[in-house]
Amino acid sequence: MQRSVFSLSLSPSVKRKLVNAGFQFTNDLLHLKPVQLSKEATLSQLEALEVLQAVRKEGGGGDAGASSSLTALDLLQKEQDLRRIVTFSSQLDAALGGGLPVGKTTEICGAPGVGKTQLCLQLAVDVQVPQCFGGIGGQVVYIDTEGSFLLQRVVDIATAAVQHCSLLVEDDEQRVAMTTFTVETILSNTFLVRCHDYVELLAELHLLPDFLSDHPRVRLLVIDSVAFPFRQHFEDLSQRTRLLNGLAQQLIAMATSHNMAVLMTNQMTTRLRGGQSQQVPALGETWGHAPTSRLLLHWAGSRRLAAIFKSPDHTGATVQYQITSEGFRDIDQSEQTHTVQSTASQRDTGH
Amino acid sequence: MTESGAQLFARLEARRCLKDIEPQMFPEDGGPNHGEVVELYGTEGTGKTELLYHLLCRCVLPVASGGLEVDVVFVDTDYSLDMLRLVSILDSRLNAACSTGLSCSGSDEAALRSCLSRLLVVHCSSSSQLVLTLHFLETSLSSRPGLALLLIDSISAFYWLDRCEGGASIGKQEEKLSKCAELLGRLLRDYRITVFATCHTIRRSYTGPSSDDNRPYLCRPWQRLVTHRLLCSRQEAANNMASTAGDSEEQRRRRVFTVHCTSSSSRTKAYRSSSFYVSDGGVKFI
Amino acid sequence: MVVLREGMCPGLDEALVRDLRAAGITTVEDVVSSDIEELAQRCTVSYKALFAIRRVLLAQHAAFPVSGADLYEELLSSTAILSTGNPSLDKLLDPGLYTGEITELSGGPGSGKSQVCFGVAVHISYQLKQSVIFIDTTGGLTASRLLQMLQAETSNTEEQMAALQRIHIFRLFNVFSLLDCLYGLRGGRLQQACVGGGSVKAVIVDSVSAVIAPLLGGKQNEGMSLMIQVAGVLKTMAKDFNVAALVTNHVTRSVGGEVQPGLGASWSHIPRTRILLERQERAADISHSSVRSATLIKSSRRPCHIREQFDLQWWSRSKEESSGKRKRDETGS
Repeated sequence: MQRSVFSLSLSPSVKRKLVNAGFQFTNDLLHLKPVQLSKEATLSQLEALEVLQAVRKEGGGGDAGASSSLTALDLLQKEQDLRRIVTFSSQLDAALGGGLPVGKTTEICGAPGVGKTQLCLQLAVDVQVPQCFGGIGGQVVYIDTEGSFLLQRVVDIATAAVQHCSLLVEDDEQRVAMTTFTVETILSNTFLVRCHDYVELLAELHLLPDFLSDHPRVRLLVIDSVAFPFRQHFEDLSQRTRLLNGLAQQLIAMATSHNMAVLMTNQMTTRLRGGQSQQVPALGETWGHAPTSRLLLHWAGSRRLAAIFKSPDHTGATVQYQITSEGFRDIDQSEQTHTVQSTASQRDTGH
Repeated sequence: MTESGAQLFARLEARRCLKDIEPQMFPEDGGPNHGEVVELYGTEGTGKTELLYHLLCRCVLPVASGGLEVDVVFVDTDYSLDMLRLVSILDSRLNAACSTGLSCSGSDEAALRSCLSRLLVVHCSSSSQLVLTLHFLETSLSSRPGLALLLIDSISAFYWLDRCEGGASIGKQEEKLSKCAELLGRLLRDYRITVFATCHTIRRSYTGPSSDDNRPYLCRPWQRLVTHRLLCSRQEAANNMASTAGDSEEQRRRRVFTVHCTSSSSRTKAYRSSSFYVSDGGVKFI
Repeated sequence: MVVLREGMCPGLDEALVRDLRAAGITTVEDVVSSDIEELAQRCTVSYKALFAIRRVLLAQHAAFPVSGADLYEELLSSTAILSTGNPSLDKLLDPGLYTGEITELSGGPGSGKSQVCFGVAVHISYQLKQSVIFIDTTGGLTASRLLQMLQAETSNTEEQMAALQRIHIFRLFNVFSLLDCLYGLRGGRLQQACVGGGSVKAVIVDSVSAVIAPLLGGKQNEGMSLMIQVAGVLKTMAKDFNVAALVTNHVTRSVGGEVQPGLGASWSHIPRTRILLERQERAADISHSSVRSATLIKSSRRPCHIREQFDLQWWSRSKEESSGKRKRDETGS
């Protein structure tokens, strides 16, 4: 079977010109020179060049495209080289398999006030913890769509994190690292973007790959929240689904190619099923495929629980956490036993 | 082009008529005649493929086993021919004929092979290839007088590719299928064969309900060729038996398909509805 | 339509192409459908030469018919049925993934599609010692999870590494890269992947809907066309190279609230077999149960709507407790 030129990543008008000139399959183009092609298909020289590059990328036996292939063993080695972003909650780290995974997308869902933004701010600080303290020493791009980014909270969390690390200093390397791990540097390594609607958000994400190339130390992208701009001004729901699907692919492509963690928050909505109302993540069922992992924050009485709802490692778990003035933390030791019991009982009901 | 006397004879005389291919489905005396086109239309899961295999088996089975014993060309544009399924239907038909004592000639394997040798399969991957392949098949048609049926599964396979390639102009979009249809029209006249083609439903709008889903959407030249339209649908079972496991014949029997036949071949329109279920041995009419 | 070019076949030189163009004959189709005798006179070329050109062009561009008997013979010797490694799924698939066909898994988020894909990849690479192409379009694949599954199979590190090396991964996030990849595989890279292991027996795309769904709806011609092209290259690859294609799809809800596979009516014809995976809905809001149900919704071999229950932990169970698990599976179904 020959490959149609319509399967190439070119603009539709260029493809149509090719077909009109009789170039229906990529084979017809393989042995042409750009000048020849531009004359025969009435394309500009630049367009002709683009066409030929696209054709040769696949080029039956060429190895340009093969570079994207790797064996599972290669991937395993790559994964082991990538460190995770710790959350400052050891239980949540354990549930996540060592922290927030870099190179993947993670979604936090939950009702208002349960602590989604707090966890985002915490991770925005955590990603900057120097490597000698077990961090990854990265930078963060923080896209705020709800106006919920509070500078004072970041300063509080950063202060606590800096203090925490300063207490751990043991050797010279760590002492030197502390000189560049201050509240000021944390703020200056946080690139804040405010988006007011989905058009601004999509535009920002469109430009982001260039920004990331210029800032190779960015290891975390936060979008708080992805739900807000997409839950208003949409009459055509199928258009929304399409945009969201495209956005999901853009995010995972960026996460993979820039070794960056993507963290998004989502709101909850009520769905009626079988006469029962149920709280489910917003943006529809299809969006649920978008994040690699899904974390659900919810209340159980006065306790705050975080549940891993979907993960590639397929390890479901529920942990209890608290929001303190210093940030997102495990609950105190005294309450710990109680949590373990409650998660254990939850597991039982699950089976 | 020159033509030998034998070829002329093959072209005009010896082709078998397929009017009686399935008396339970077509209106009385309204089966497809020489040079007529039957379109099978329906969504996924409405028994189209099974029906097609049923008709195909009827053609290639020997007369002694209740078949018509004619040659068939299967143009597979969807790359969907399920040979294993086809063989299991043929097998069960051959065995059924054997057990009723109609015929029991030779080994099963040999009988099966002779059925399959009446079938020619050709795969096409674009509509321009389809046009050229039809030209190419003309040689087979002129040299094999036993060839009475041309199956195309499906005629709508390249619809979206053509739509996209054609750009804004409807004429361009439909150019290739129109050429196919014109050529088929000539082959039908010249060689007096019969054509069966499947056509998948498409959903044209994502918003409105699917009220006009059954309206023909392929180009006019093709529509003009079609003389019989078989509209396949599934009867929704009242109770969903999804939860009960098992695959008894009983359960299959409950999944009933309906086919509405509209024939406009003999000037007057005729209609007929029939129902069937699918067994291991293929389509069984009720 | 295929445009005529000099050198396409012997005898078709520059002058003749020019003459034919002057006579209004620009494509292969035009040559094939024209009256050769009349055309020969107009283009001052011998009838015999033009007739030969017509024949060669037709042979080059038309598809060639094959006898059904030969096709069946070939199919019998080449078709393989690959076990998924999970008895419940194998039962639905009667009794596994067929090479030459596309099998689809659909389901909502967290329904276990990816887990099944991982399990199948591990089973084929470790148990069957064959190679697998795994195309990840969602970023959901982690090699550590594959390793975890392998560790449940064997404690021999060398065997684990060998099995991981037989799984070839492509990570692509848009439809054009997917097409580049699939055409590249078709064009010969599939056999290259065999080097250093068994032959490639399965191509897994998890998920096909992630890259196609963003293109559908609205002005849909191009999206639909790309979807059909993905389907076409997958089908022909499955047939011509005798590999099993396993794809995953998301689900949508019909107006009546019924769950159905995504990508619409035109895609529904593509997979030969379709399985719907669902979480077991429980009273508890968040259940960590790994039990899923699998419903056969399209098949030419078994009646539709049979349902089986299975445990996603199946692939990562340790061998010692397998008998106990099986017992539970039986009581569960």
